Amino acid sequence: MKRIAKKRNFGPQLVNTILPVLLAFVIGGIIISIIGENPFEVFKIMLGKSLFTAKGFSNTLHYASPLLLTGLAIAVTFKANIFNMGVEGQLLLGGFFAGIAGASLQIGSPLLHKIICMLIGMICGVLFALIPAILKAYYHVDEMVVTLTLNYAMIKVLEYLSSGPFREDGSGYVCTSMIRETAMFSRIGNSRITFFFVIALVVLLLMAFVMKRTKLGYEITAIGKNPEFSEASGMRVRRKIIMLMCLSGALAGLAGAGQMMSETFKYTLTFSGTTGLGWDGMLIALLGRHNPGGILLAAIFYSALKTGADNINMYTTVPKEIVGVLQGLIILFLAIRFFNEKYGFMEKIKAQKNSKEVVE
Amino acid sequence: MNFIGNIMYDSIYHATPILLCVLGGIFAYKANVLNIALEGMMLTGAFTSLLISYFTGSIVLGYLGAIIICILVGILFSIMTVTYKGNVIVVGLAINMLVPAIAGFVLQFMKSPNITLQWKNIADFKIMIPLIHDIPIIGKIVSGHTPITYAAFVGIFLIWVLMYKTKFGIYVRVVGENEDAARNLGLNTNKYRYLAIMLGAFCCSLAGINLALERMALFTNNMTAGRGFIAIAAIYCGQGDPVSSALYAIVFGVARALAVNMGLYAGPAAALFDVIPYVVMGIVLTMVSVLKYRNNKLRGIIK
Repeated sequence: MKRIAKKRNFGPQLVNTILPVLLAFVIGGIIISIIGENPFEVFKIMLGKSLFTAKGFSNTLHYASPLLLTGLAIAVTFKANIFNMGVEGQLLLGGFFAGIAGASLQIGSPLLHKIICMLIGMICGVLFALIPAILKAYYHVDEMVVTLTLNYAMIKVLEYLSSGPFREDGSGYVCTSMIRETAMFSRIGNSRITFFFVIALVVLLLMAFVMKRTKLGYEITAIGKNPEFSEASGMRVRRKIIMLMCLSGALAGLAGAGQMMSETFKYTLTFSGTTGLGWDGMLIALLGRHNPGGILLAAIFYSALKTGADNINMYTTVPKEIVGVLQGLIILFLAIRFFNEKYGFMEKIKAQKNSKEVVE
Repeated sequence: MNFIGNIMYDSIYHATPILLCVLGGIFAYKANVLNIALEGMMLTGAFTSLLISYFTGSIVLGYLGAIIICILVGILFSIMTVTYKGNVIVVGLAINMLVPAIAGFVLQFMKSPNITLQWKNIADFKIMIPLIHDIPIIGKIVSGHTPITYAAFVGIFLIWVLMYKTKFGIYVRVVGENEDAARNLGLNTNKYRYLAIMLGAFCCSLAGINLALERMALFTNNMTAGRGFIAIAAIYCGQGDPVSSALYAIVFGVARALAVNMGLYAGPAAALFDVIPYVVMGIVLTMVSVLKYRNNKLRGIIK
């Protein structure tokens, strides 16, 4: 029974997800044509190379790996109606200290070194997520406001740490020391993809299992739908909030550590890019409908867009910030449901007919 | 004495944008629409005021254009949330992300990291109040601010009157507290939500103009640096009451003034002092929340 109901809802859900993307591209296209470029040409350059060539696609997968994790980090909390907007800050902190550990620890075994760095990243993420979690669970402080502002505080602190105590002497710009070889994920083949993508995929599968098949997954959905009822029926909502925030922080911290060990290798002030990996995660979680399968597709799509943006700078005069504009537009349109998802298309028409007959 | 005088002058200076955002957010808060797009609207005001002044060469057009475009953003927010019932938080976030993206796009297109008005001397914006300016200490603190700064402090009173002494204020509060009751009274609830959000957008545009055009005649991307979120914290602390929310906004302004002035003597650790306003905000928010729920024995999460 349940499965049939799900299938029927699939149509409107798909339309509700794809329509915002199309709308965003239409408006983005209008902006591009105002500048005086051909929008079809630009979108072709943007998506063509990063999705339809072997090397381009594996690069896309590489850049999708941290996005998978931040997308999950957001989905886990948003699904429970807790708004952890601090993923960006947790990711930065995790990445920073994973980088410090990667540069300063001397461990012979590459495997052990990598594991330690990733663990440190995750622990940092958890600790930073713990502050708003405890405030929310025990003092009813709105977690959204706290996480949003703590992001700014964290950026400032890391700016100080990377330009003061941990600054690499002799480099022309602000950055920390390069991590050691033993902590770096090496590239596979001639593309940029590393073993970190496999780790991200494994985590995704693990989280898919947790969200679909375990008690915790059920509780996430229940708390998201009705926290009072969940509390009354015996779930310890406070503890679950802290647990979910920690889980989210750990995922964000891991994403930061992975970004550090597979891509940047040192902390710079532009560590998480122009729109920020944590904020990208927001788009991915919303586009993927807080659903692991959806998150995988959304992360690959968005990563293709982002890597493709580097190409448009080479061939056209369109600034690559167009991706940020598209991102904002997609999120804006994702906020509204164009079609009611409780009914399939056919039932909706039938229901309208019935109600008309009643009136007559 | 000079040091303390500077801090007090800076407190007024730094409190202004936060205060304006608070005044803007209060009505939406009372109408039960959590407007987290304050940050994005403020950045819109900052960006458009500079952009329009830059291309037209007229400060007045910059003021007007920024206010109009901000209100348009407010209308967009209302259409998405009130008419189409979109998730308020997601729409707010989308606007917060969209505005810096558009600003970055335009800046990149102009091939410039910022927009400056070189022909404008920012000292012209400062108003020296004739008699008060000559009083030794107080004169230096109270006089010499920009027009919007004074407007913001007068605004506390205006918003208070609007909220508690006019029909409009009462209706907005009814819509927020009990929508069904408001409908039964025959009120057009959507209309009041729209107006509340647009009033917020207007105040945020003033905050943005104050921040970018009046203070520095300079726009850099993301210059609002979370002030909109601090304003939301102030609204939460004051629970939407104009006077107490405004007081919290001033507290955060003082925190920033302290941070900036102490940072001058801190040398390389100056960046750490920038953290103070955010930390103060967290502590104040927690304290208010603890006091509010002190005698609450309810279990579970309370919304």
